[in-house]
Amino acid sequence: MNQILEILGLILIIIGSIFLFLGALGIYRMPDVYNRLQAGTKATTLGGMSLIIGVGLIQPDWFWKSLILVIFIALSNPISSHALARSAYKSKIKPFFKGKEEDLDAYKEVVERNENN
Amino acid sequence: MDILTISIIIMAILQIGAAIYAVIQKDLLYAVIATSVISLILSIFFYVLQAPDVALTEAAIGVALTTIVFVITIRNTERHEDKRHVKIGNKIIKK
Amino acid sequence: MKKVIVLILLAVVAYYLVDVFSQIKFGENRFQGENVRDFYLDKSKNDLHVSNSVTSIVVNFRGFDTLGEVTVLFLAATALGSVLYRRKAHGEAVLFNASTIVRSGAHLLFAPILLLGAYVFIHGHLSPGGGFQGGTIIATGFLLMLLAYHDYKVSHGVLTWVESLAGLTFASLGLTGLILGKTFLENFLPIGTINDLFSGGIIPIIYIAVGFKVGAELTGVLYTMLNEKEYKKS
Repeated sequence: MNQILEILGLILIIIGSIFLFLGALGIYRMPDVYNRLQAGTKATTLGGMSLIIGVGLIQPDWFWKSLILVIFIALSNPISSHALARSAYKSKIKPFFKGKEEDLDAYKEVVERNENN
Repeated sequence: MDILTISIIIMAILQIGAAIYAVIQKDLLYAVIATSVISLILSIFFYVLQAPDVALTEAAIGVALTTIVFVITIRNTERHEDKRHVKIGNKIIKK
Repeated sequence: MKKVIVLILLAVVAYYLVDVFSQIKFGENRFQGENVRDFYLDKSKNDLHVSNSVTSIVVNFRGFDTLGEVTVLFLAATALGSVLYRRKAHGEAVLFNASTIVRSGAHLLFAPILLLGAYVFIHGHLSPGGGFQGGTIIATGFLLMLLAYHDYKVSHGVLTWVESLAGLTFASLGLTGLILGKTFLENFLPIGTINDLFSGGIIPIIYIAVGFKVGAELTGVLYTMLNEKEYKKS
């Protein structure tokens, strides 16, 4: 029983570290604030949660404590990323545009609507 | 070398890099974020060196409170150290 | 006449200072043959029944230093308040309100953060942590509410009362040790069994007082700094 739990925990830790690595890579690679937030907050939320649950499975004494930590991350991380994105939008940062010609008008309209607000 | 030594060396290099960045950066908001990175790595160091009391203090005071006090101060004064930029109202204008 | 009295007083103080300091030789080893580290570790485990020996050193053996630290923190908070306090604010800072998600999230997280801070300083003698750490965590909880609500009010009167009562508890516990014929801040309560919540005599009480004091002071500092309005530059 303990060995199964340990293997499960290790798998969860590996999944978590892969997601954390992808989040870091996304922050480095993405072109503007909104894309970076997308990569850097969603991926790290899932990565951190699965990593902590993995640690809780390997050490069964800590399982309930790690569950509390996961609940805290699930509450706090999306709220903070929402606040970051909203403050970037309110500071009138233009989103990055790389697309077809016919979408350019819609993009300009959105940017103007933001700047007039 | 085991994995702990390697990670400690990497963290120390990161810390020194963040310190140099904080000194040479002209935008004070970025410099404050760099100092909070220094504090975060320092609290991990304290934990690894088996001083969890000090690590808790460093994490709470160095990362959270000092950063927020500096950010509030920057909001109320100037953001750029450079004399060529002047803040008039809410806009930053080049001289 | 006044100057003469002042001079006499200064002379008396100087005489006693010189008298005390001349008896201490510079660089002398005052712990002959005895190891300070072993002394502290033995005494905190056997005589005080405190499992976290860092706490027993900070609060009991070096309790007087901690009283000084708390005083320094109090003076810093008071000085900041007196510098930044302005009765008439000219103009308003340009801010927008936090969104509904942030506000309800802050409401949800406020109570658990305060609970964590209280846990840290109540269990200061059993696990890592203590008054300073727990107080700072409580201050970050109030910071969350201050950031979410721009019109969030923290009563300065309540903060001052909490601060004063906590400081009074610390000093009067030290003085009670003096009254009972022991030294300042020496333990006079039953010490209980080791690794129990009610153990360590006066150490948990002092750390709870320090936690309340630090939390109230840092909350006051943050409240003063955040509510400082931008004033017109002349």
